[in-house]
Amino acid sequence: MQAEPLAPVAAPRAPLIPSAVNRAVDTFFYDNKIVRNFGIATVIWGIIGMAVGVLAAFELARPEVNMGTAYTTFGRIRPLHTNAVIFAFVGNGIFTGVYYSLQRLCKTRMFSDVLSKIHFWGWQLIILSAVATLPLGFTTSKEYAELEWPIDIAITLIWVVFGWNMFGTIARRRERHLYVGIWFYIATFLTVAVLHLVNSAEVPVSWLKSYSAYAGVQDALVQWWYGHNAVAFFLTTPYLGLMYYFMPKAAERPIYSYRLSIIHFWSLIFIYIWAGPHHLLYTALPDWAQSLGVAFSIMLIAPSWGGMINGLLTLRGAWDKVREEPVLKFFVVAITAYGMATFEGPMLSLKNVNAIAHFTDWIVAHVHVGALGWNGFLTFGMLYWLWPRLYKTPLFSKKLATTHFWLGTLGILFYAIPMYWAGFTQGLMWKQFNGEGMLQYPNFLETVLQLVPMYYLRGIGGVLYLSGVFLLMYNLYKTAQAGTLLANEKAQAPALLPEAQDPHVQPGHWHRWLERRPFQLAVGATVAIAIGGAVEMIPTFLVKSNVPTIASVKPYRALELQGRDLYIKEGCSNCHTQMVRPFRSETERYGEYSKAGEYVYDRPFLWGSKRTGPDLQRVGQKYPNSWHYNHMLDPTSMSPGSIMPPYPWLFENTIDYSTLPNKIRVLQGLNTPYPAGFDKLAVADAQAQARGIVAELKKEDIEVKSDKEIVALIAYLQRLGTDIKVKQ
Amino acid sequence: MIRPHQLLLGVGAVLLTARPALAQAAEANALSSPDSQRTMLWFVLSTLVLVLMVFLLLFVAVIAWLRPQLRQLYALPTVHDTWSGRVLGLLVGDARLVQGDVRDELMDHEYDGIHEFDNDLPPWWKYSFYATIVFAIGYVTYYHVLKTGQLQGAEYAAEMQQAALLIAATPDDPNQLTTYQPLLVPAELSSGKAIFATNCAPCHGAGGEGKVGPNLTDEFWLHGGEVNHVYKTIKFGVNGKGMVAWKGKLSGKQILQVASYVLSLQGTKPANAKPPQGEKEAPGKPVAKL
Repeated sequence: MQAEPLAPVAAPRAPLIPSAVNRAVDTFFYDNKIVRNFGIATVIWGIIGMAVGVLAAFELARPEVNMGTAYTTFGRIRPLHTNAVIFAFVGNGIFTGVYYSLQRLCKTRMFSDVLSKIHFWGWQLIILSAVATLPLGFTTSKEYAELEWPIDIAITLIWVVFGWNMFGTIARRRERHLYVGIWFYIATFLTVAVLHLVNSAEVPVSWLKSYSAYAGVQDALVQWWYGHNAVAFFLTTPYLGLMYYFMPKAAERPIYSYRLSIIHFWSLIFIYIWAGPHHLLYTALPDWAQSLGVAFSIMLIAPSWGGMINGLLTLRGAWDKVREEPVLKFFVVAITAYGMATFEGPMLSLKNVNAIAHFTDWIVAHVHVGALGWNGFLTFGMLYWLWPRLYKTPLFSKKLATTHFWLGTLGILFYAIPMYWAGFTQGLMWKQFNGEGMLQYPNFLETVLQLVPMYYLRGIGGVLYLSGVFLLMYNLYKTAQAGTLLANEKAQAPALLPEAQDPHVQPGHWHRWLERRPFQLAVGATVAIAIGGAVEMIPTFLVKSNVPTIASVKPYRALELQGRDLYIKEGCSNCHTQMVRPFRSETERYGEYSKAGEYVYDRPFLWGSKRTGPDLQRVGQKYPNSWHYNHMLDPTSMSPGSIMPPYPWLFENTIDYSTLPNKIRVLQGLNTPYPAGFDKLAVADAQAQARGIVAELKKEDIEVKSDKEIVALIAYLQRLGTDIKVKQ
Repeated sequence: MIRPHQLLLGVGAVLLTARPALAQAAEANALSSPDSQRTMLWFVLSTLVLVLMVFLLLFVAVIAWLRPQLRQLYALPTVHDTWSGRVLGLLVGDARLVQGDVRDELMDHEYDGIHEFDNDLPPWWKYSFYATIVFAIGYVTYYHVLKTGQLQGAEYAAEMQQAALLIAATPDDPNQLTTYQPLLVPAELSSGKAIFATNCAPCHGAGGEGKVGPNLTDEFWLHGGEVNHVYKTIKFGVNGKGMVAWKGKLSGKQILQVASYVLSLQGTKPANAKPPQGEKEAPGKPVAKL
C-alpha cells in the first residue's frame, strides 16, 4: 500500500482577471455521498451486466449453457446484457461523474438532495424492473429500447428529475461561464430526452404489451435514429464531458485547445444525429436516406477525433505520469479505443464495407471496442481517481489497479480479435460463389460452425475483463475501509455578481457569451440535434413514394399475430434477421430481396441487426409444419450441429387469447385494415387456423393440441414473406 | 462495385489509347486469348509503377539536395504565407503546417483548477474535416444529383446480369423434364451418399426411411420415382409442401448423383420406416446399389 500524498493540482498561472475586491466568500458543501452511491451502483451493475454478457457469449458456443430454462435463453438475456451495461453500468457511471464534476464546475452543491435521492433510487428501480421483465419475455424488441411502456414512462420521469436537478444546479452556480464538460452534459440530457420520447411512442395493449406507433420502414428509421444516437448521446457525449473533467484533473495539465473543444462539440452533436441510417444500408429504407447516413457518417470522423485529440494532447508533458499512474493508463486506452471505434464506424458505413460487415460479428467487435475500451476504461479510471478523494485516503493498491488495467486490456484483445476474425470469415463465406456460379457454402449452418471456436475465445476475453472488475471492487472496498467518507466536502467561492458588475463578463468571442447563458446554449443544442432527425424522418413519413405499397400484402391473421408476438417475446430477432438484401448471394440463398411495402403491417419491425442464424424473411412455406415442429423442439434434429437452443416450453404453454381482441382494436386504431368487428371474431379465426395446422401435423403423426404456443409460432413462420411470393 | 480487373482494364485502356504504337499491339492482342491480354496489362501497369517510383525517388533526392536553399527561400516573408509557400513548407518539413501553431497560451479562465490552452485547431485535423465534407457533398451529388452512381436496385440488376453472363445458359424450365440415365458408377453413388448425409438426412432419415419428409426406400412416390422426376423434385423443390429447392445449392451433377443414390435405396427396408405415401410405381429399370 502506497501512502504517498495526493499531489496538489498545479495552477500554471494565476487567472488574468483579478477577482473583484472585497467580495463576500460563500462557504458551502459538496454532496459526495450521492457520488459514492452512484459509484457503488456502477460497479455492482457493471459486474451483473458483464456476467450476463459472459453467459450469453458461452451460450453461442454451447446452447445448453442456458440450463434449459426459458428465462436464460440467448434471445431473452441478450437484451438484458445490453440494457444492464448501457443503462445500469454506463448510466450510473455518467451520474457518478456528473454529480461529482457538476458541483465543482458550478461551485455549488447539487440543487436538491431530495431530487438527487429520487434520481438515484428511481434509476435503480428502473434497472431492477428491467431485470425482472426482460427474462420473462416482456419486450418491445426495439434494440436498447426493449423495456415496455410503463417502464418507459418511469424512465421519462426520472430523466426529468435528473434534468431538473442539473439545470437547478447550473442556475445556482457561482461560476459565470459553463465549462465544456457541462455543454456535453446539457446536450446529453436534451437529446436523450428527445430520442426516448420519439422512439418509445407506442400504444398499450395490456400492462406489459404495446405496439409501436410506427410500422415497418418508418419504425426501422426511428429505431436506428434512436439506436445510433443512444450510442452517441448516452455512450459518447456524457463520457466526453467526463473526459474533459477527469483527464485534466488526473494529468494536472491544461486542456490542449479551447477552440477545438468548441468546434468539435457543435459539429459532433449536429452531425451525429444524421448518421442513423448507416445501420440500414442495403435494406428497404429509401436510397436517399441511406446516402445521407453514409455522407454524414464520413463527416463524423473529424468531430469525433477532435475529442480524442483534445484528450490525448492534454497529456503533453505528463506522459511520464502514465507509466506510474493506473488512472492515466485507463484514460489513455479509453481515448485510444474511442478514436479507433469512431474511425472504424464511418468506414463501416461505406456501402462496400458494410456489405461484408453488416449482420456479422464484425459489428459486435466494433461496439465492444467502444463499450469495453472507451466506456469501461474511462469509468474504471474515474472510479480509481474518485475513491481516494471521496474517502480522503490513498488508493488501497496501485499495483492491483495496474493488474486490473492489464487484465482488462487483455480481455479486450481476447474479445475483439476473435470477433473480427469471425466477422470477416462469415461475411466472406456468405458471399462466396464457386466456379459453377453456385454458393460455395449453401448451407448457412456451415458458416456458423466455423465461428464456434471464436465464440469460445470471445467468452474467455469476457471472463478476463470481468475478473478485472472484481479486482476494482475489492480495491475500492479496501480503500473505503481504510478511510472515512467525506459525505459533505467543504468548499468556498465568492458569490456570482450581477452580470453588469462581473469582471469576468467581457465583450469577446460570441461563444463566451453563449457559455454564460445555459438557456440559449440548450436551445442551440436542441436546434442542432433536431435538424438531422427531422430531415430524415418527415419525408419518410409523409411522402408516399418512400414506401411503395404492394396490393398483395395483407395484415397478419389473428393466429399469425399471436405467433409474431411470441417471436418478439422469445427474442428471435436477436439472432435472425428479416431483411434479404439486394445481393446475388442473398437472393440465391433466401429468395427475392425485401421490399419496403412488405412491412407496412409490422409493428414493431423485426429486421434484426445480427444474423447468427439464417434470415427468415422468406422462410414461409419453405419447410413443412412438421419441420418447424421438430426444429423448435430440438434444432439439432433438423440441422445437425445447430447452436440454436431448444424451445420445449412452447409445446406446453397455451396461447394467451385474452388480449387478442384488444390487440386487434389497437392495430385498427393504427390503421391496420382489419374488417370492422374483427376484434370479436379474432379468437375464433385464430382457433380455426390452429386446427388446420394441427390437422396437417397429424398427417405426419405429430399429435399436438391446437391451443399450444408452438402452433401460433408455426403459423407466423409459415406466413413470413409469402405475400409477394410468385405462385408456381 | 468496381472489381480490380475492371480497374486494370480501364487503366490499361487509357494507356493504350494514349500510345498509338501500343494500341496496335492491343488490337493484335484483342484477337488472342484473354490471358495474354491480362499479362500485357500487368506488364504495362508494372512498368508505369516502376517509372513513377523512379521519378519519385529522383524528386526526393533533389529536394534533399536543395534543402538548405529551399529553407532560405521558405524563410522569405514574401514566400512564407502564400499557398505555394505552404507547399514548400511541407517539402522542407515545417511541422507547424501539420500540427498548427502550438503557443500554449492559457485562457484567462479556470474551472475547479482546470485550465485551457487556446491552441489552434491542428491543420491536419481541420483539412481532414474539410476533405470529409467535400467527400460527403460529392457522394450525395454522385448518387442523387447527377445520378451517375448505381443505387442498390441498379447495382443488384447489374450483379445479376453479370452472373447470367458467367453462368452457362442451362435450360431452367421446371416443366422441361431432363433425359438423364441413373448413374451406376460406385464413385458417383458414394458422392451422392455424402451429399445425402449432409443435406437430405435431417428430413428423410439417414437411411432414407423418412422423418419430416417421405420414405424414399419404398415403391411409393409423391412426385414420381423415375430418375428425371426425382431430379426435378430435388432441383426445384415442391413449393408449399416443404421440399426445398436445391437449385443453386447443388450443381446439376450433384443432383444427379444424389438422385441416383436415392434410387439405389429402393427396397432396403430400413428400421423405423415411414408408411408409404403417394402412388405406387412399377419398379423401373434396375439401378446400381452401393
